[in-house]
Amino acid sequence: MSNTRRGTKWGLAALVAMLAVAFALAAPHSAYALTTNKATARPNENGGSGVIGGLATRLTWEGTVEEGEKVSSVTLVLPEGGTFDGSSTKITVLEGLSRAKVEGTATPADTQLEVTFSEPIEAGYLLRLEVEGMKFPADGGEVSVGGSYVNQDGEQQLAESKPIKTIANTPLQALVATLDEAPWVQAWNSNPFLGMFFKPQLLATAFATLVPGWLLCLLIVVIAYPFAIVLGLIFALMKISKNPLLRLIAIVYINILRGTPLFLQIYIMFFGLPMMNINIDNNVLGVIVIAINASAYLAEIFRAGIQSIPQGQYEAASSLGMNYFQTMFDIILPQTIRRVIPTVTSDFITSYKDTSLLSSVGVMELMMFAKNLTSVSGNMTPYVAAAIFYLIVTLPLIKAVGYVEQRIANSERGGGPRPKGKAAVKAASAGEATPLPSELGVHFEAARDDAFGTSVSPLAPVAVQEV
Amino acid sequence: MFGKNHGHGGLTFDVPPAMDAAEAARIAFDHDLSLSKHHFVEGEHPVVRIEHLMKTFDGETQVLRDVNLNVWNGEIVVVLGPSGSGKSTMLRCINLLETPTAGHILIDDDEITGKSAKEVGLIRRDLGMVFQSFNLFPHLTALENVMIGQTKVLKKNKDEARAEAVKQLEAVGLGDRIDYKPPQLSGGQQQRVAIARAVAMHPKVLLFDEPTSALDPELVRDVLGVMRELALHGDMTMIVVTHEMGFARDVGDRVVFMEGGVVVEQGLPEQVFDNPQHDRTKQFLGSIK
Ligand SMILES: Nc1ncnc2c1ncn2[C@@H]1O[C@H](COP(=O)(O)OP(=O)(O)OP(=O)(O)O)[C@@H](O)[C@H]1O
Ligand SMILES: [Mg+2]
Repeated sequence: MSNTRRGTKWGLAALVAMLAVAFALAAPHSAYALTTNKATARPNENGGSGVIGGLATRLTWEGTVEEGEKVSSVTLVLPEGGTFDGSSTKITVLEGLSRAKVEGTATPADTQLEVTFSEPIEAGYLLRLEVEGMKFPADGGEVSVGGSYVNQDGEQQLAESKPIKTIANTPLQALVATLDEAPWVQAWNSNPFLGMFFKPQLLATAFATLVPGWLLCLLIVVIAYPFAIVLGLIFALMKISKNPLLRLIAIVYINILRGTPLFLQIYIMFFGLPMMNINIDNNVLGVIVIAINASAYLAEIFRAGIQSIPQGQYEAASSLGMNYFQTMFDIILPQTIRRVIPTVTSDFITSYKDTSLLSSVGVMELMMFAKNLTSVSGNMTPYVAAAIFYLIVTLPLIKAVGYVEQRIANSERGGGPRPKGKAAVKAASAGEATPLPSELGVHFEAARDDAFGTSVSPLAPVAVQEV
Repeated sequence: MFGKNHGHGGLTFDVPPAMDAAEAARIAFDHDLSLSKHHFVEGEHPVVRIEHLMKTFDGETQVLRDVNLNVWNGEIVVVLGPSGSGKSTMLRCINLLETPTAGHILIDDDEITGKSAKEVGLIRRDLGMVFQSFNLFPHLTALENVMIGQTKVLKKNKDEARAEAVKQLEAVGLGDRIDYKPPQLSGGQQQRVAIARAVAMHPKVLLFDEPTSALDPELVRDVLGVMRELALHGDMTMIVVTHEMGFARDVGDRVVFMEGGVVVEQGLPEQVFDNPQHDRTKQFLGSIK
């Protein structure tokens, strides 16, 4: 007996082979041999066709008793790591097509399964052993089933079966197997709703399978967003510029992108560019489309944010002699950024969710993986898993938005040692008081819902002081 | 003989060109000599010279009609007048926050109207402004508020700017608040930071537009105190629009009364307060008391 599993311990294999040879030499020569017809295993992969090691499956072994033999017992042997423990064996003896009445008892013991018959099996009989609940070695590879048998002349060597391909057992597969067997899972899945949307085994599989798609979504939006911010800022400044041409360009850009569905923009870019013989990697193109789309929304957010800064800030900067760029970059934008952080974060959440549309053009993102897994399994659970992957990112961000809004509101109200007198009220009513960002937030919040930004109303329209 | 035509939305004004500097200085000298406590020095020129200043909004509302005013180096000029008389507009024209529709403004005999954006920046650093609503930069600390003009505009290095900022903040009594951000300061403290911010630029002229109007009465005193200190012990030239008559009387070298976009009356504070010449001035002062 030897084994042909990949990656086995060669020392042990050699030892086993030597013993086998020694045994064969010691045994009296025999012309007969119980022929191994086949050895197969039932797939035990959830939603697949592989045989996973370390998990219970059914081994079907068949052999034919040769001329002149009477077989009284058969012992199947698995390579180390496999086990027959806990298995139950169905013994079938066929004479031609009819079933012979032969009683047998199977005794599993670790890697060995000994089957003894009440009376010897005659030549020409077909012996079929269906071993339910056995396990192949957990580390996978090609596994042959060997062993020995006893005939009238004593113990004989059993020919090795053709190798059975097995898959290494991962923790995930182990988990799925455990779930498969757990009674609560079976009860759970018997509920049509739970079984269709929240099948635990599939949830586990989906979590593992969807990770690359999820990472791609994150990667796309994380790379796209800085570009979107820069572009958005440029178009925001163009839109409030005094130059009518710059203003026109910005208005056209922003309105077209906000006034058409992202889905359409994706189609135009993904199918239009190749027609012009411009071929860009799908993922890169995904980044580009998301960045361009988000930049239009960010431009409106930035514009509203910039215009929400009181005129007095421009005047104070100007009266110090600061020029346009100093005023913008040292005074106006730092204040704008603080104010728009919540809105920009909301927009980031939208962009992150929008990456799902890229599945329609074959980008291997989260939705794509979920769709594939659903079509293989015929179950909705992968979509639920995808939803959870989206929420993992969006929920904390939503929470953060609220927190930041609150914090900014508090800091602008002044948390410091500030006398709470009428002064603040007076200053606030002096006309150039700083509006609270939470008030602004109300305007910004609608930015994505309203294609033309009419709701993004600056509190007081201001022309940028170009010094 | 008439100079350039300044047009605005259909209205056109013909304004004579600015006078020759020496000639104008001599006329101004004679004119102002009896109207101000300023210690006039023979032959000096006014630091601010406003001639025939006009300002029209939207082509129709004529806010400044014909303002003529000279301000001398180190002089404290207090501007009074009813609401809407154009006081703010005049101040804002002086540092070009508003573009004059017609007329001349000269700083140290240099014309500042009709300049390019770049030149306007250079002119403004010489003209400090303190606003009614403070207009501090809320994202910067008091110290940074006072430093930013020095580092960005005057290109001073950080250490120099910091030293100057600390000095000016201490001068306004806020040495212990330099790291506070504006929202953490009271209105009076904010306004004092704003004064320090303007003074740290060492402008030729400091313009105050109702610096205490947005403040609680008990905070007004601190701010006026700082301004008084600046006026009496600094060599600042100040144009102060205010309704604080006590301050005008005590600190002002000259009081200017504006109404309807023109200077109606001007003179020594006690002259104007105790013996106003014009009915409008009398009416205004009567309504104040
Ligand atoms: N940007 C503007 N556009 C149109 N009209 C303006 C503008 N700024 C000021 N005005 C008008 O000019 C007039 C004078 O305003 P200004 O602010 O100079 O008055 P003021 O003397 O400072 O009054 P107050 O004491 O109320 O501050 C007012 O009638 C005002 O409505
Ligand atoms: Mg005013």
